[in-house]
Amino acid sequence: MTVVETLLVFVVAPLAVYVLFWALTYLPGGRKRQGVVYKPGQPWDHEPVWYEPQPRNAPAHAAGEGDTQAVGSSLYGETASISSGHGASGDGTGVLTSGSGSGSGSSTVGSSVIAGTRGATAASADGPAPAPGGPLGGARGTW
Amino acid sequence: MTRVLDAEPHDSGTDVTAPNRADEGYDTIFSYRELARLDEALTMSSRETGLRFTLYIGDLGPKTRIRAEELHARGGDPADSVLLAISPGQRVIEVVTGASAARRLPDRACALAVLSMTNSFSSGDLVGGIVNGLRQLSDQAGHPRGARTH
Repeated sequence: MTVVETLLVFVVAPLAVYVLFWALTYLPGGRKRQGVVYKPGQPWDHEPVWYEPQPRNAPAHAAGEGDTQAVGSSLYGETASISSGHGASGDGTGVLTSGSGSGSGSSTVGSSVIAGTRGATAASADGPAPAPGGPLGGARGTW
Repeated sequence: MTRVLDAEPHDSGTDVTAPNRADEGYDTIFSYRELARLDEALTMSSRETGLRFTLYIGDLGPKTRIRAEELHARGGDPADSVLLAISPGQRVIEVVTGASAARRLPDRACALAVLSMTNSFSSGDLVGGIVNGLRQLSDQAGHPRGARTH
């Protein structure tokens, strides 16, 4: 192995690899990023968007299974499962009130009972109820 | 001689096809990959829990809580829905849970999810924070009673 070959193999080839990766990393014109890059503190002058979960489409489950027959009550036919969830949650409040009657304060128990009965009536009355069904919860955060 | 080609952009979509076109005139906040992540997170957390998670990103006005609650009431089925309202310009996130959703998602759990989300947001990762927050919220809510998910 001559000196030239040694230099080629041990110096030029590794350098070529380094240079290749450097160029792929830092040279512009690579993958273009779509969308905005959010930096905290920059103004946000985009249209408000509201993302919803995809509707559970009709062929995914059988037609009779927990499905409302009220055609047109909802755009997606998704309210069937949700209104059956109302009944289940109404049962859940009964369990919860009987369980937490000994532990927590009576005011929270009373509010949950009220919310449960309201939810049940909203579920029994057909059609989407625009009125809020009780106290709202949640949290707030800033960064 | 060359002259400036004076052409106005026009949309050739009809009344039927125009709402389906995603290539023109829409604000691309997120890339397709990020949109896919958001979509999967929203859809899967909603299906697992039976609650309805929606995500609003935009300005919330001076009274952020009131505006978020208005939005929450405007969406379908407010009692069972959970709204994540994020205003990146104001650096505010509001989580609004409906009456029956709040029973499965107590405020303390929401605050914990909000904390992890704001942690990601402050480092500039909107989508990652949202996805992790949704994961945390849906883990807390669990499966609905009587649902067979597997």
